[in-house]
Amino acid sequence: MKHVLIAIARLWQLGPSVILPPSCRFAPSCSEYAIQALRKHGAIKGGWLATKRLLRCHPWGGHGHDPVP
Amino acid sequence: MVRRLGKDVDNQRNLILAMALVILLLFGWDAATQYFYPAPKGEVIEQAQAGDEDVRRTREGGLTNPVAIAEERRDLRTQLADTSRVPIDSAKVSGSINPVGARIDDLTLKTHRETIDRNSGPVRLFSPAGTPAQHFAQFGFVGTGIAMPGPETVWETEGGSLSSDSPVTLTWNNGSGQIFQLRFTIDDEYMITVTQSVANTASGPVAVQPYGFINRTSETASTDTWTVHSGPIGAFDGSVAFDNDYEDIVDSRLIEPAGRTDWVGFTDIYWLSALVPDPQVATDAAFRALGGSNVRADLIYDPVTIVPGKQFSRTTRLFAGAKESEVLDAYEDAGIANFGLAIDWGWFRWFEKPIFWLLKELFDLAGNFGVAIIALTFVVRLIMFPVAQRQFKSMAAMKALQPKMKALQERHKDDRTVMQQEVMALYKREKVNPLAGCLPMFLQIPVFFALYKVLMLAIEMRHQPFALWIRDLSAPDPAMILNLFGLLDFTPPGFLSIGILALLLGLSMWLQFRLNPAQMDPQQQKIFMIMPWILMFVMAPFAAGLLLYWITSNFLTIAQQKLLYLRHPQLQATQADEAKASNTATPAKSADG
Repeated sequence: MKHVLIAIARLWQLGPSVILPPSCRFAPSCSEYAIQALRKHGAIKGGWLATKRLLRCHPWGGHGHDPVP
Repeated sequence: MVRRLGKDVDNQRNLILAMALVILLLFGWDAATQYFYPAPKGEVIEQAQAGDEDVRRTREGGLTNPVAIAEERRDLRTQLADTSRVPIDSAKVSGSINPVGARIDDLTLKTHRETIDRNSGPVRLFSPAGTPAQHFAQFGFVGTGIAMPGPETVWETEGGSLSSDSPVTLTWNNGSGQIFQLRFTIDDEYMITVTQSVANTASGPVAVQPYGFINRTSETASTDTWTVHSGPIGAFDGSVAFDNDYEDIVDSRLIEPAGRTDWVGFTDIYWLSALVPDPQVATDAAFRALGGSNVRADLIYDPVTIVPGKQFSRTTRLFAGAKESEVLDAYEDAGIANFGLAIDWGWFRWFEKPIFWLLKELFDLAGNFGVAIIALTFVVRLIMFPVAQRQFKSMAAMKALQPKMKALQERHKDDRTVMQQEVMALYKREKVNPLAGCLPMFLQIPVFFALYKVLMLAIEMRHQPFALWIRDLSAPDPAMILNLFGLLDFTPPGFLSIGILALLLGLSMWLQFRLNPAQMDPQQQKIFMIMPWILMFVMAPFAAGLLLYWITSNFLTIAQQKLLYLRHPQLQATQADEAKASNTATPAKSADG
């Protein structure tokens, strides 16, 4: 499961993300964050962290340096 | 200088790589869409081998082979001329009941035309046994020890024609004491109610099993795709089963779905024929292969023993008609479990249905589905407007930071990672961020997907015109550029079938990207400017309504950007500067989302 989710994030990075304009307000980016979170905390907690991060990624959310806890 | 040269070579390699990917996408996409998505109306998608014949499936279903079409027309003329047939004539359907075998085998839908041509005939759902488009329902009885009615039995008819205020009764006396009766009634939509009864006037008890079935050929089936199911369907123990295909029935000869049957039958993207059993009793259903391309959905009740002098009856309903969402939902509200899900909305229906509802409301206001789609686009853009506004506001604030930014970029120009982090830190300190984040972008995908499904599934969108040459928003743009809009006598193959709408899409997207305020490195900029032209090919075969939505959305985004640039005049200058600067330096670029 963990690897599947990481693969999805990698696919995003190699596919759509290359073509789309830069849009992420955070460093590391959401996909990078997701990969790190999944490696560090596993599918459930890591996935939850990544979801929360995605939900923060809008003009009224936070921004800036935001590493995986 | 040397370093720049190296970088240029690097850039060129990247560009070639990107082009290769683009070409792969262009051709790969065509193959993938053929596999995953339905073909445009009237186009060939699938050439399934059934014996020696080719079956070509279309999005709407129906015969495609000209020989079969001619044969069907001939057969209908001779078969339907039989004057002993009992006419069916209600608000939405017309046809007839065949007294031989007590079959409902002739049914057309009054409110749905075959093609967008105003003179085209009504859609034919049922066609007698043996015709190329065979599709009919039969009600009868099985039992042992006594003479039972069969497919050749000629029933006596009573009542003129079947309509919502006049029922029809078919009677057959087996000559040994049992009288079989079928009483048909019809409502103002697509539901025929059949009461099957047996009166036993003999001196001994008899055991009978009433049954009903729908028999059809799979050759007239619409395309079964990854996103929309066409084929055997039914609800068992309250949940709808979409997973059986015609091939599955042919392969396993017999499929007996587990659970109590709520309804069972066959569906196309737009049409449904289904049997709804008597709600009083638990009933089993089965899908059966009959050889060739013919399949059957059976509903059979448990045997009942009728003592002398008694009568016994079961009531079954037959839905045969168009899957109009409101009609199906009304039947569901009246007690047929999950009947509304005969339309394959999929797991995303909680979002598709509100979009569908909004579209219908807008249609009621505007009177034209094209205008309704444009209005929907306005609604979506209006909801997203604060996002763009906020983005421009923080970009204006960024302008003040420009000197600090320049200094940062100068200091860390050799290490992009550190530079990015520093830039982020600067944003945080000054509480600005020019980027909207990825969520607003993701939020628009569901709307698009919902509209895609609605346009494909909803019969309410079928044959709905917009203006000029767009006479069916649910079909691809018919104005192909490559054959000079039909002047040349050929249909351009797959990915070359670009219509005017697709061209407009590419153009509007290109314009919009040019005005995009997000900063990119030149490499990305290049790929980005190719994107509209790729998407032009990718989107061309989709429903015209979907392209209409996207084009309107692009133009609204352009208008919005113009408006916001007017409000923040200093940004216009900045953008021009950056365009110049991007030739010499790499502007700050945060990583992707």
